[in-house]
Amino acid sequence: MTSTLENNKEIKIQMRGIAKVFETEELETHALKNIDLTIYAGDYVSISGPSGCGKSTLLSILGLLDMPSGGEYTIEGVNVTDLSLDQAAEIRNAKIGFIFQSFNLIDELSVFDNVALPLRYSSEKMSEQAITERVTECLQAVDMTHRTGHKPNQLSGGQQQRIAIARALVAKPAILLVDEPTGNLDSKSGDQVMDTLEQLNKSGTTICMVTHDPRYANMANIQLKLLDGSILTTPAPGANIKEAV
Amino acid sequence: MSLLYYRQKQAWASLRKKPGFVGTVITTMGITLGALLCVLTLAYVLIAKPLPYPDQERLYRVDSEFIDANKEGVGKAFTYPSLMHLYQKQAIFDESALLYFGEDVLTSSPAQPTMKTAFITPEWFNLLGVDMALGRKFEDSEALNTNNPVAILSYRTWQEEFAGDADILSQKVSFSGTSFSIIGVLSEDFIEPQIFTTGLNSQVFMPWDFNEAPENLRKSWSNINDTQLFIGKLNDKHSLSQAEQILTPLMNDVWQENVAGMDFFKGWSLTSKVTSLQSVILGDNRDTVYMLLAGVIGLVLIACANIANLFMSRTAEQQRQLAIHAAIGASKKQLFKGLFAESGLLMALSIIIALVIALGGFEIMQHFLAQRLPRVDELSLNGFTLLCALAITLVLALFFAKLSANMINYRALNSTLQSSGKGSGIQVSHKVRQLLIISQVAIVTALVFVNISLFKDAVDTIEKPIGFETNNITTLVLAGATTTPPSREERKVIMQELKTKLSQLPQVEAISQSGSPLSGFGIWAQIVVSTNERLVVETKPVDDNYFNLINQPLIEGRIFTDTEISDEVDVMLVNDVYARHLAGDESPIGMQITFGSPDDPAATIIGVVKGMTIPGRSEMPMRAYPAAHLGGTRLMLKLKPGQTLSRQQAAEIIAGVTSQYSLFELSSLDDRRDNLLFTQYTTAITSAILALLTFFLAAIGLYGILSYGTQMRRFEIGTRLAIGAKRKTLIAMIIKDNSLALVTGIITGMILLVLLYLGFPEELETYLQVQLIPVFALTLSLIATISWFACYWPLRQLINRPAIHSLRGSD
Repeated sequence: MTSTLENNKEIKIQMRGIAKVFETEELETHALKNIDLTIYAGDYVSISGPSGCGKSTLLSILGLLDMPSGGEYTIEGVNVTDLSLDQAAEIRNAKIGFIFQSFNLIDELSVFDNVALPLRYSSEKMSEQAITERVTECLQAVDMTHRTGHKPNQLSGGQQQRIAIARALVAKPAILLVDEPTGNLDSKSGDQVMDTLEQLNKSGTTICMVTHDPRYANMANIQLKLLDGSILTTPAPGANIKEAV
Repeated sequence: MSLLYYRQKQAWASLRKKPGFVGTVITTMGITLGALLCVLTLAYVLIAKPLPYPDQERLYRVDSEFIDANKEGVGKAFTYPSLMHLYQKQAIFDESALLYFGEDVLTSSPAQPTMKTAFITPEWFNLLGVDMALGRKFEDSEALNTNNPVAILSYRTWQEEFAGDADILSQKVSFSGTSFSIIGVLSEDFIEPQIFTTGLNSQVFMPWDFNEAPENLRKSWSNINDTQLFIGKLNDKHSLSQAEQILTPLMNDVWQENVAGMDFFKGWSLTSKVTSLQSVILGDNRDTVYMLLAGVIGLVLIACANIANLFMSRTAEQQRQLAIHAAIGASKKQLFKGLFAESGLLMALSIIIALVIALGGFEIMQHFLAQRLPRVDELSLNGFTLLCALAITLVLALFFAKLSANMINYRALNSTLQSSGKGSGIQVSHKVRQLLIISQVAIVTALVFVNISLFKDAVDTIEKPIGFETNNITTLVLAGATTTPPSREERKVIMQELKTKLSQLPQVEAISQSGSPLSGFGIWAQIVVSTNERLVVETKPVDDNYFNLINQPLIEGRIFTDTEISDEVDVMLVNDVYARHLAGDESPIGMQITFGSPDDPAATIIGVVKGMTIPGRSEMPMRAYPAAHLGGTRLMLKLKPGQTLSRQQAAEIIAGVTSQYSLFELSSLDDRRDNLLFTQYTTAITSAILALLTFFLAAIGLYGILSYGTQMRRFEIGTRLAIGAKRKTLIAMIIKDNSLALVTGIITGMILLVLLYLGFPEELETYLQVQLIPVFALTLSLIATISWFACYWPLRQLINRPAIHSLRGSD
């Protein structure tokens, strides 16, 4: 695995000139314009901005769920700009953990199987024992070991989101991509989830989060604001600014 | 404006926004219900509809069956004197009639067409309640032994052969040298009962006295003829079995008296069979109708499963609209009525298309199947069809509306509005989808297997070698044009000259003075001289050129020489089946056979030919070929490749040779062969179409169900993609998830087939062969292919695009 070091910190994500254009027969929409972005190991980045500013599009491209129309994108030094669908899936599996607003747990699978799913899709096959150990470890991290046999619909929203966090962590990704993690939760559950993310960041997990909520955005050490597809920089109090427009 | 009208208007407005849905429903249901209405009407006409004759339930045909010394049936037919005895002496029918069916050349017409003739006694008109378009019926003046040369035309003959000439009653028709005054034309509405052969519509009716039976046969108690029939109206004092008990001794006793001196008939007897006219006309077509019904009901079930799936998907789509209706006060019953208005409208449109398709089906059956299926002339959009159409419309409309209504959780509709359309809302449950898949696959497995089996069986029969050539061979048959036929010696001279003239034609390669190998085998009584064994064998006299002309292989011995034919030497050939019966593994050459009586000169077997089969028939019976004399009026012409002989050319040559004969028939063996294989051709085409249609409908249905299921899992698939699932992993997952339903469907289909076999073991026994294993394997592979395809195709649009497309809208 190749890593890039800058200022003695490992670069996890690097984007240069990333653009995204949506085209229809009549209309061409520039969702992202010339985005330059570097995220280092251990960063906690929040992305916020008004509706339609390109937050979700940026997160999709960061997570290889969508392809940019232009620019260059590397994850841990690996160029991932022009991957095939299956290659992108492999990188997603190995290096990216997703946390969705609506949790996106699979109803038919138990909590344990939901969390284990990325390991089962991994090209590096693991033994059942290793999978069990790793899943248990992740469930412990989110304090959900007592619910391993339950189905998602037997859990509260907050619990489901914690399971989703465990699933995102299970393959030891380079970065966690988090999309409005509290959007479907009440404030108490939302706070618990955000506490969990904060703990994870403090223990070294790199996080990039899209959120509307300024309170949660402020929890990040790097706060990026998007407007009309471009990044506006707003440094958090006391944080180091690693990237500027 | 009534509420009903309002609902229909709303339903129409709602459906107009979904032209794809409407188009699919009315096309699928229209086609399949059209086929159902067509076959239901056929079943009604054949099985349930009363015959269009007065007191039809009392009309019967009497048959005479000969039983040999081994108590085995030999054949159903009357001897001429037996028939006359029955007609004159019976007392259990209030009224009875004799019928004799034939064909003859209408020599009074310049075109000299061959006409289908019927010779009848006057009671025929009363029995069948015949009305006349013109003139009168046969009366006492045309009763037995009156010899009054008059004729009645069918309505179509009057129109087609005489252009509807208003002056027809002053005209005459001539057959075999006799001129018949036309005294009437049958009503256009009259439908002749097809009690002799399906599809036979007589063109000219003449009094019984003029029937074609030769003088010697009219007195013979040992020659039978199946073209002469007896029908009658049974009196109300006797049951069917009583009638048979009375008629059997009436006929058997007098027959026994008259054959007492004939050794051949020692131990034989004669029984009477009385069969209702309805059963006679239906023949063995009941099973055909049931098979057609089963096939078409299977199609309708598949279509219903498809459409049920579409209706459920549409209801799922409509949940928000239904929620709004509920919110503003619509009760559950009112929601059902709205859904019923939509399904009713769709089924009404479907049934209109179905009725048009049924009408087309009637036309097709009347055009192509009139020779195979009885009473197809009576097919029309009758009360039964319209009643069925109405009932089907109502039942299906209620079924689809009920199905949709059952999906609605009325109490939960409000939450649909609160969640702004997000969440699960109304969905077709996993269980229902699995049931739909199982039912589709089960029906398609059974139907496709049955249809492929029928197709294979028909194609095998068509392609089965028949043991001789038919290419470029034309048969030519002469008909007498005079009241007194020429003697055998005169015929020999005429035929020799005719053969010479024909052989001079540039297109003729060879000639045989024999009848067609596809017909003309008589049932001849034979006695083996060495063992005195009595046999009844299919026999046809042929000349020295016959076997070479049709290329029927000689296995042993030799064929006739021209001298043996011209000198009328008593020699014969037999086929290998007869040879084995006569001599086992030894050679039958040199054995002697007499025909009919031990006093007749015996014919010596000089050769054995390989057996041949009649196309469409599987059995290969014993056959004998005695040497023909040269007075026969049937010829076979081998034409040079690509050459033809026109009817006009043949008729001119005959006219140049003799005025005593006219051309009766000129047809190619290939045409005759195709005609004999008509059932196999229609079976092959019908089963192939049904298999394809079934397959097509099932493919659409399975695609619809699996596509819906995949769409329901779009976010799940997106999530799996997001966490790193590869495409092949997801394809395998979808296939695996549906495999249980697919395999259950296939097993259910196999159980259906077993039940079908248990229900009709005798009918299906002949079809059960080892060769069906590959057919079954083919069926399974076809089902598997469409099933796996239906799994993959809807998935491809999710997995072949960036994962965000599947996840969009999940939050």
